[in-house]
Amino acid sequence: MKTMMTIACAAIAITGTTLTFADDIPAHPSDLDFAPLEFTPPEASDYRHELSNGVPVYMAPSDEFPLVQIRFSFKGGGYLEPEDKAGLAAMTGQMIRTGGSSMMDPSELDEEFDFLAADVSVGVGGRSSSASIDTLTSNLDRSFELFMDMIRNPRFDQARLEVLRGQALEGLKARDDNGLAIALREFNYLMWGEDHFESIQPTRESLESITVEDLKAIHDRIFDPANLMISVTGDFEEQQMLAFLEEQLSGWEMGEEVPDVPAPTHAFKPGVYYYEKEQPQVQVLIGHRSMTRDDENAIEADVMNQILGGSGFTSRITNSVRTREGLAYTAGSFMQTRVEYPGIFASYFFTKTPSTALASRLVFDEFEKIQTEPVSTEELETIQNNLIETFPRNFESKGAMLGIFMNDERTDRPEGYWQSYRDKVRSVTPEDVQRAANEYLHPRDAVILVVGPWEEIKKGNADSEADPNRVATMDEFFGGKATEIPQRDPESLEPIKE
Amino acid sequence: MRLPKAALLAASTVLVMPASSVIAQNVEPIEYTLDNGMKFLLMPRDEQPNIITAGWIAPVGSANERPGITGVSHLLEHLLFKGTDVIGTSDPELDAQYREELTEIREKMRAYTLDVQYKRMYAGEIDNPWDPANDTDELRAMRSEMTAIQDKQAEITIKNEFDSIYTGNGASGMNAGTSNDFTVFYINIPSNKLELWSWMESDRLMNPSYRELDAERFVVIEERRQRLEATATGKLDEQFDSMFWVASPYNWPVIGWMSDLMAYTEDEIKQYFETYYQPANLTGVIVGDFDVEEAEQLVESYFGRIPNKRPKAAPLVTHSVPLLGELRFSGECDCQDQVEVRYRSVPFGHPDEAVFDVIAALLNGRTGRLYKSMVEGDDIAAQASAGNRSMRYAGSFSFNALPKGDAELSELEAAWYEQIDRLKNEPVDPRELQKVKNQNAADTFRGLQDNSSLFFQLAITEAYGGYEYLNQQPERVANVTPEDIMRVAKEYFGANERAVSFYTRKGGGEVVELTIEDVRASLPEDMAGMLIPQLEMQIEALQQETDASALQAQVEEMDAQAGMVPPDFQTAMKYIKQEILKRIAEIESGETGNEGTEGGDQ
Repeated sequence: MKTMMTIACAAIAITGTTLTFADDIPAHPSDLDFAPLEFTPPEASDYRHELSNGVPVYMAPSDEFPLVQIRFSFKGGGYLEPEDKAGLAAMTGQMIRTGGSSMMDPSELDEEFDFLAADVSVGVGGRSSSASIDTLTSNLDRSFELFMDMIRNPRFDQARLEVLRGQALEGLKARDDNGLAIALREFNYLMWGEDHFESIQPTRESLESITVEDLKAIHDRIFDPANLMISVTGDFEEQQMLAFLEEQLSGWEMGEEVPDVPAPTHAFKPGVYYYEKEQPQVQVLIGHRSMTRDDENAIEADVMNQILGGSGFTSRITNSVRTREGLAYTAGSFMQTRVEYPGIFASYFFTKTPSTALASRLVFDEFEKIQTEPVSTEELETIQNNLIETFPRNFESKGAMLGIFMNDERTDRPEGYWQSYRDKVRSVTPEDVQRAANEYLHPRDAVILVVGPWEEIKKGNADSEADPNRVATMDEFFGGKATEIPQRDPESLEPIKE
Repeated sequence: MRLPKAALLAASTVLVMPASSVIAQNVEPIEYTLDNGMKFLLMPRDEQPNIITAGWIAPVGSANERPGITGVSHLLEHLLFKGTDVIGTSDPELDAQYREELTEIREKMRAYTLDVQYKRMYAGEIDNPWDPANDTDELRAMRSEMTAIQDKQAEITIKNEFDSIYTGNGASGMNAGTSNDFTVFYINIPSNKLELWSWMESDRLMNPSYRELDAERFVVIEERRQRLEATATGKLDEQFDSMFWVASPYNWPVIGWMSDLMAYTEDEIKQYFETYYQPANLTGVIVGDFDVEEAEQLVESYFGRIPNKRPKAAPLVTHSVPLLGELRFSGECDCQDQVEVRYRSVPFGHPDEAVFDVIAALLNGRTGRLYKSMVEGDDIAAQASAGNRSMRYAGSFSFNALPKGDAELSELEAAWYEQIDRLKNEPVDPRELQKVKNQNAADTFRGLQDNSSLFFQLAITEAYGGYEYLNQQPERVANVTPEDIMRVAKEYFGANERAVSFYTRKGGGEVVELTIEDVRASLPEDMAGMLIPQLEMQIEALQQETDASALQAQVEEMDAQAGMVPPDFQTAMKYIKQEILKRIAEIESGETGNEGTEGGDQ
């Protein structure tokens, strides 16, 4: 490090002559000037290629490291699972990866990938599936050959299936150990119904019923070139890679594209719900269904949610519940959208039992405030600047950028969305925010879900609070009415009969 | 003068595997040290355009604390987001006055609580002396007074201004972390905002406000609940850790004991800050798309103005003592049954650290020994893993597993000891060792592909003693030999220097005693008629048996044959085993059966 030290000393000497700098330091950061940030969003078409069978291939090379990453993304996921086979889709993904291939039995294949230091993963998600390989460029030929055989001809070894099934069954026992997991499960049930793919949970019965034939059936539908898009990043040359993929995928017959995601039919019922659990901290979710991704007011609604609770410390709910009152470590809100149907809006926080009602009141106060008063220009500008200036981060890594392009193509994102995004954000006004708050927040028709010891939650904090203005009980909400969600058997999720 | 660009990619081939080559990485940031001793590591990298990850690290954490102020490093980390003398308030003068008033009332409440409320606790009148629900009238009055000042201060406080300035300027992911050994602050900023970062960070290092101290205490308490008390195993883990570390300052939790969280004074916090956060103790790290010269000028003018206020912090004196026996810990929680076996390993940078890393890699993964032997082979574990954690002053190596089906925790523990014997006595197969080395080499690259991952590796290794370690680790792993593995296993994995924990599900461990009626119900009717009388005779005969070791041998034989018992006879077998074990217990406790029970009063 000798040369580095010399450089450092030289640099100090240089800046030593320009020490007037320190006197120029402004008293407040708002007095600083910054060079403008130049950024033009990349165009998908600059990265898109096609194989002769029509499979899109997005490529973005970089020679920084001698590694290459190839990712297969397939349309189709958990929504294709038969109703009585919850857990099948996820297990199919795991079994493709761990169950061997036509050339090798499971442990041979694992050994080979590990020896080659190739990271290989396969996952079947709710709405789409993926298979990816991250390997040293020098090993690409060998590891990709194994990868393709695994994807096209998975062996679905019965012994490996039993290992995974055993692990999944053990996992069921732990399902009620974590209050947050209970809260999310029950909130999803309330929002989507219990049998939509957004909310469905495996049970002992569904896991025990899964057969190799079931795995094959799901695999055959999803892992088909008709559902496929490919992205490639890392150290490679584009034309060579295209020719390589063309050759590797030749002879993979094109089948039928899977159907689209089905919309849920369940209608949720507003009110207070509780799930009894003895624990020192209560998990609370307050929310309802939201909007679709391509809703014409989606950007206004997002800005509104950022101000309300979606931007960490800068947002109002975090400020009120955490910073001002010290009632929670985690508090905020999210506005989740879906392409095919409205997603979910919810505010969430975790607090000690007696302050559940007070923190809930603070959240409802914030709902009301953002619906009845225009936000300040300062608050709005902070969020606008943030969304605009963090915008390049969407495309931060080449992998993330190609991921966006593939998702946009699959979900038909309206043309020009990224190009006009920053202008649209900049044009949002305080009136737009208030309108969005009234149109997309429905506090009177929300679900309040709490997980914890209900009798104590209900009572609130009268015993421990010195300030009468900060005393609250759960009687403030929905006229004090509350619905108990029956305790569930962790394996069957059936309500336990008393 | 134009400075040479940092060579991120001085790549050289060091290791060859049969089919292909693996290349080692040299990470060479530009080092830049200010006159006040603050060091910077600058790492320009344009693979992710327009973005910088920047931050700084202090080599201070819970290990530098003492009883009474445990958790203060972490609370201080929170308070450093509360703004400075000018950021976070609309009226710095009035704010200073309120802060003084609050300090005064806080001291009064603390003195009162430590006296009156602690005495009430020791007398058994209340459980928690700090809980407002247990306030006396006097304390309640003081608390109201404090709340009133806080509410007044709140009127001139600009909540979270520190965060919103960053947010409004396109920064994201602002956060910090506290560990046993270091505290690190970091953020992602657009490339044109390096001066903003310099302004904000140097200001909070010079003029922190510790504003909203009392509300933040409660936030941290909620964090403690969220992370420890409301998680399945958090509370037990904390006590197991504490037991394992004995004398070492790693024996208290990073977040602190609950009593201490309520007790810190502003003076204690300030003194701690001024000692450990002086510039001479800090390293700044900047990774991403920036101009080196500009960065050097900025840090020179902004961070160069921070003075060192106190003498250098005293080095840590108390080090860990070796374990002199086996420690066992068992607890119940709302959790899956699980076992951990933990040993002392070595501190960060110790020559044997790479050997422990290799051992963990041999054991883990689907091609690792634990999966093959316990998950797939014997089918007794749902999950099994091992890991080494080398911290600044000491390290630990753990085995963790969850049983599958009816498997007992003791079976998993025994299976682990078999693995240790293998490590001690069998040289590892060359291909198995090569596999681990190949993976380590490839993973080294993978860890450098992203600005923030590179940031953390530079910052943390620097806090532990020097970032150069990043370049040494791959080579050290490549040089591990089969003999090293056997030597380390023998040296560190001894039966009399380990800690073992068994966690079992609350309420799940109650063994319901079987009766002869249970057995009758479990058997097919025609069998029951024949077997039950036989069974009753056997049980009666058992009461005459006085040789515990003969009975023990019988139990072992039954265990060995357990797999061959037809389902219909499982309950009967369990019942027989239960009765034999009861009899063994009787014999061993000296109640020798019939003569004892019939003796009557003496």
